Amino acid sequence: MFFFLVRRVVSGVVLVFAVATITFLLMSLTGGNAARNILGETATEAQVAAKAAELGLDRPILERYLDWLGAALHGDFGTSWFSREPVIESLANRFPVSLSVVTVAVLVTAVLATVLGITAAVRRGWVDRFVQVFAVIGFALPNFWVALILVTIFAVTLHLLPATGYVPITTDPGRWALGLILPVTALVIGTIASTAQQVRGATIDILERDFVRTLRARGISRTSLLFRHVLRNAAGPALTVLSLQFVGLLGGAVIIEKVFALPGIGSLAVNATTQGDLPQILGLVVVMVVLVVVVNLVIDLLTGWLNPKARVS
Amino acid sequence: MRKRSAAAIALAAIVALTATGCSSSPESEAAPTGGTLTIGAALDAASWDPADAEFGNRLQYMQPVYDSLLHIDENLEITPWLASAFTYDDAKTALTLTLRDDVEFSDGEAFDADVAKANLEHFQSGTGQNSITLAAVESVEVTGDYEIVLHLSAPDPALLRNLALVAGMQASPAVLDDESLATTPVGSGPYVLDADQTTTGSQYVYTRNADYWNTDAFPFDEIVIKPLTDLTARLNALKSGEIDATLADAKSMAEAESSGLTAQTMLGDWQGLFIVDRAGEIVPALADARVRQAMQYAIDGAGLLQAVRLGQGEVTTQIFNPSSLAYDPDLDSAYSYDPDKARALLAEAGYADGFTITMPEFAGFTDITTVAYQQLRDIGIDVQTETVAPDQLISALLAGKYAAFPFSWGSSDAWQDILKLVKPDAPWNMLHSSTPELDALISAAQTSGEAADFQAVSAYLVDQAWFAPWYVQNNVYLTGPDVTVAMQPQNVVPYIWNYAPAA
Repeated sequence: MFFFLVRRVVSGVVLVFAVATITFLLMSLTGGNAARNILGETATEAQVAAKAAELGLDRPILERYLDWLGAALHGDFGTSWFSREPVIESLANRFPVSLSVVTVAVLVTAVLATVLGITAAVRRGWVDRFVQVFAVIGFALPNFWVALILVTIFAVTLHLLPATGYVPITTDPGRWALGLILPVTALVIGTIASTAQQVRGATIDILERDFVRTLRARGISRTSLLFRHVLRNAAGPALTVLSLQFVGLLGGAVIIEKVFALPGIGSLAVNATTQGDLPQILGLVVVMVVLVVVVNLVIDLLTGWLNPKARVS
Repeated sequence: MRKRSAAAIALAAIVALTATGCSSSPESEAAPTGGTLTIGAALDAASWDPADAEFGNRLQYMQPVYDSLLHIDENLEITPWLASAFTYDDAKTALTLTLRDDVEFSDGEAFDADVAKANLEHFQSGTGQNSITLAAVESVEVTGDYEIVLHLSAPDPALLRNLALVAGMQASPAVLDDESLATTPVGSGPYVLDADQTTTGSQYVYTRNADYWNTDAFPFDEIVIKPLTDLTARLNALKSGEIDATLADAKSMAEAESSGLTAQTMLGDWQGLFIVDRAGEIVPALADARVRQAMQYAIDGAGLLQAVRLGQGEVTTQIFNPSSLAYDPDLDSAYSYDPDKARALLAEAGYADGFTITMPEFAGFTDITTVAYQQLRDIGIDVQTETVAPDQLISALLAGKYAAFPFSWGSSDAWQDILKLVKPDAPWNMLHSSTPELDALISAAQTSGEAADFQAVSAYLVDQAWFAPWYVQNNVYLTGPDVTVAMQPQNVVPYIWNYAPAA
């Protein structure tokens, strides 16, 4: 296990380095004129040149990259070229928002998808058909459309929930929770649908295995069979789907963040990319890759904990 | 003595009348004050350094915390503010500003002539996008504890307006050269940014500056600005009562009004063609004014306005804002949609078989370019298109890569627009076009500052078709039931002092 962890951490570091390097090169070689974008349409060429020099854009790419890398290794990701806010600060402001939405969405997905998937697999019949129809519909509904419908009903018409904005959990846990209800609901309809299908499929597959028949023949209780044996074996594929969804939601929550005006990393990433804000983009990329590595590691450990057969010696 | 007695009696009568009920008439009712104004902004705040201050949407973030030297109202009238008096010399190259002596910044620093000079120099030497607005200022001379003189290289008809907006904003001298100013504003304005309640990217909360010298001019106890970049989110927030006012567009007006919101409009950006290759360096045909005029006749501006902007705006042929000195309503009938006349002009200029021109395609304009390019093709101009990425658009346009291109321009002060679009060294006169006749007209307008001289510049540009504007579109602004607002000419959103609680 120790070597497994070390191997994963080392490969994670290599991944972060590789992605950051490629991002830096791509942005530097193909990006627009950041100095012009900062100064706007009325600045003179002399002003643009002065700004470019101020940002270090007149220096060779390799020199700039090494400077950035050296500072990043010391935890300094620089300052946004546009807002002039330290990148670390903007990430510290934005990530909790996206993580709140995505973490709650994944937890809700995990619980509801497991319940629906297992129920469908065990009961079969009309329950199974209902879950399958729900899965197809849930998967087909665009989350931004669901979001707009939810806002119109629960915020604009009934005034029950906020239409926009985010309150940090440290400021007011109640308003934090209220603010998350609509965005999370809009997100989880699709993810529950797909995860429930995975859980259902995996559970049916396990239920048809020989060892389950043997356990049943030995008179083991239905609950114990389901939770101690079937679910543990079926958890692997479901956890993999959940980890993929976590990563996908982080990147894909842009639309939901826009509809609900949530100041998360989605809008930050879109703005930074459109403007060519290199320090901001690099900071985002590094943190995202680290997050993906960590989530995958946690899922691997969880899978191993749930299913001894999946453990790495 | 008798006069004094009469005055005393009159005063007593007024007081008595007031006390016995005259105060209940609508005219004498005090305007409501207090409460919170919550604005939904279309853009997030950027730098808080006044040297980086921008016109447009982001001005609203700065105005609560930074006072300017002068003041501008919704009628574009310039009045004293931190400068209690201002006078030009006869040549209009020396502007004397007498400053208030009772102003203090929120960190306790005092405001005086040295501070004003330092702020003006900070703005002028900064790399902000509007440092150009002080380009005519050669030096700032301190002539007393509370008096400065701005010495200009030439008259600047837009200077007073700029001193009432971004160029005149005053920050505390203690942080003027400190990097912290970009992230933490310290001004002398009517409000201070409340760091505890503010969450970057989510909401900016301003509370009253307890020591402010002119509290009565700002009725709200608190201002909250929420950056809501998505129009749907802004509309939902306004309809659900989470915000009081926000910027919208023509397409959302009907929905907003049916929801009981108040929609107001103000003519703002013009849209049309920038025909920048007036000497024919890239496309030789464009050197002939008849060809440029043909491009104006070829495109149905009124049809585009109706179809794309739902009729929210007015057809125009001028680059100047309808509220500006240079705008002449008579010029708007100079061209109309007439493809036959366009073909005749092309033939007259020797281009009966047309010519080829490359123009850009870019996000946000495809609904217009699809029609406009086709209408140019209809008169025989072979329009080739190149797709340009959003982050490369401005650089590509300003580099003079395209002989002509469609664009949207937020016109404001006439002189400001001449500096940006028309003068030979203007950034948007990419190929540095000039003619002796136009130079003379510009010079006359700069010196006199009179409307007639500015209108002569506009007439020349329309006649020579330096640009081919199609229409000037309305800025649409929505308010909820608790707030009233006066629309601001020459800015996409109202200034912060234009808002008031609803009666």
